[in-house]
Amino acid sequence: MTEKIPHNSENWSSRSVGANWQHRFFYLLIRLGGRHIAYPFLYPVVLYYLIFRPDQRLKSRYYLNLRFPGRTGFAAFKDSYRMIMNLSRSLVDRALVGICGPEILKTEFPKGDELFNLAATGQGLIILTTHVGCWQAAMIYLSKLKRPVHMLMQQDAGDIDRHYFEHSGEENPFHIIDPTGFLGGTVEMVAALKQGDVVCIMGDRLKGSQENSLAVDFLGAPVKFPLAAWKLAAVTGAPLAILFPLKTGPDSYRIDLAEVIEVDRKDARPLERLRPYLNRYVKTLENLCAKEPYQFFNFYDMWSGKIESSE
Amino acid sequence: MENSLNEQLKKIIIEELNLEDIEASEIKDDDPLFGDEGLGLDSLDAVELVVLIQKHFQVEIKDMEEGRVALASISSLVDFINRHKEA
Repeated sequence: MTEKIPHNSENWSSRSVGANWQHRFFYLLIRLGGRHIAYPFLYPVVLYYLIFRPDQRLKSRYYLNLRFPGRTGFAAFKDSYRMIMNLSRSLVDRALVGICGPEILKTEFPKGDELFNLAATGQGLIILTTHVGCWQAAMIYLSKLKRPVHMLMQQDAGDIDRHYFEHSGEENPFHIIDPTGFLGGTVEMVAALKQGDVVCIMGDRLKGSQENSLAVDFLGAPVKFPLAAWKLAAVTGAPLAILFPLKTGPDSYRIDLAEVIEVDRKDARPLERLRPYLNRYVKTLENLCAKEPYQFFNFYDMWSGKIESSE
Repeated sequence: MENSLNEQLKKIIIEELNLEDIEASEIKDDDPLFGDEGLGLDSLDAVELVVLIQKHFQVEIKDMEEGRVALASISSLVDFINRHKEA
């Protein structure tokens, strides 16, 4: 029988479930011996959350029940274990990059030149990010782009999980745009793109107004996806690049430039005209989930809400 | 001069943002542009409005603080355009 998932976590938060001392303990392990010491300590932590914190384990089931329909019992438990372990390793990797330096990870970027060339044109570039893999692996490359990089990023008050640059006390190499600010940061994003800069926006998580979204079927059920990135691409003429930073080994990552999409100016309005572009992104994300099912880190009910699929 | 700019702005907003069932004369100069009251524009409309201002009046709204003041109403937008055109 499939476990019943509580419908109380649709409001996603970036706050870590771990306590401050737990984070500090792992930072200490990384400083002492890097990944080789930190990774083994993840086993008891992950098992603790799987066995003694079913509320946390069940958060993985929203996605996994759709990705692996019909899986129950030990097979379902194992899926949750793999997903939570992967997330935990990516958090360790994030700290690892900050503490030991970016060269600690072997990151390959097969289509890196394409992205660098897009950024160098000066027509602005939108990088559509997703909760996949470890972003810190990609950030190293982003800092090498020959244009300023702005990130639409919210960090909840009281969040103790550090970004990689915070470990070394460095100044943030990117300009942060607060999505909870005036008009969701749209004014700053337009200004950045019009001056030819790079703007990174999450494409898979809707925050704020439900109206600025479209419902598209994802893994067989409708999900409301945000439209800000697509609207920006249409209005400013900036191309939109979909990037996935995937873990390929214990200390290696590969950044996939999955697709570059140009949105026609005439499709800026009405919002329904953005649907074909959004469909392309969702299809790309589904393909990724098919190939790397445990690297899409979704721990909230993105399928919640009474949404009528238009497809 | 300022009044004609007000009217021009209202027409641009109505036409380019495809606002239906509203005439330029119905928009008050001090009505809020965004939010539930006034014109009721949202953040995605702001994306277009910022680009429209640049296209029609060659002035740029560069950051959140500037935007917060400039995009409050038609009057504040006219003030912003006039100030930046003079500069």
